[in-house]
Amino acid sequence: MFGYIGDLDRTLALMDSLRRQMDRTFDTYERAGRNVSTEGGGYPPINLYDTGSGFLIKAEVPGLTEKDINLTLNQDVVTLSGELGADAPEGYSVHRRERAPVRFSRSFSLPSQVDPKRVEASIKDGILTIQLERTEEQKPRQISVKAS
Amino acid sequence: MADGNLEKRPTDTAEHVKERPAVVPRVDVYENEKEYLLLADVPGVSRDNLSINLDQDELLLEAHRTDGDEATLMAAEFRSLDYRRKFALPQGVDRASVSAELRNGILRLSLPKAEAHRPRRIEIKAG
Repeated sequence: MFGYIGDLDRTLALMDSLRRQMDRTFDTYERAGRNVSTEGGGYPPINLYDTGSGFLIKAEVPGLTEKDINLTLNQDVVTLSGELGADAPEGYSVHRRERAPVRFSRSFSLPSQVDPKRVEASIKDGILTIQLERTEEQKPRQISVKAS
Repeated sequence: MADGNLEKRPTDTAEHVKERPAVVPRVDVYENEKEYLLLADVPGVSRDNLSINLDQDELLLEAHRTDGDEATLMAAEFRSLDYRRKFALPQGVDRASVSAELRNGILRLSLPKAEAHRPRRIEIKAG
């Protein structure tokens, strides 16, 4: 009887901690923005996807063009750096400024080795997309079982 | 119970299932003699997914963003969302000539002032 309640409590506590973690992730996003935050990343915010044969990184970089971003790959570490200058127009008075200029550098290590020759990056509508392919050795492989 | 939050979660699920977060986009607002200029960060939004509505004395900015990814998400710091922000329109905006431009995820909205509301320099004649 008591054992059962204990299990239930643990399960609920686990679910709750998971939910809180998710809340934190999203909260951070909403607060982070252009202010370089220390919690849960920084600028630019990124998403990492596993495409099976490789990885996809997306970063929110409104206002940046391909000229403003440096992308380097060292083994399995990707570094994004650059600068977003002020785009305030000349001869205007300011009513509100929420979009501050930012200089950034951000590195993250990928879960596995990628092929440095097969990296593609593009920017559209303020979203940077980086496509990386796993090295041949790292690709998932199907092994057929032979009948003996 | 470990935490009261579990009981406080909303139970009217029908409406919550498809809920998307609406976020306030960051904006800059400038003014000069001829116009008000609004710059807004709306990364990931294409022209078709952006709507700008001028009401009586309100400007409503709405944008819908989908990241449409089939790949497995491993780490997320942003997500599909809607941008929404309302502004009180200042007096004397010439509605007919409001123009907008979207480039690199930044919306640039120009709200020209009507002729009658522009500052005028008055010459002082020597008597």
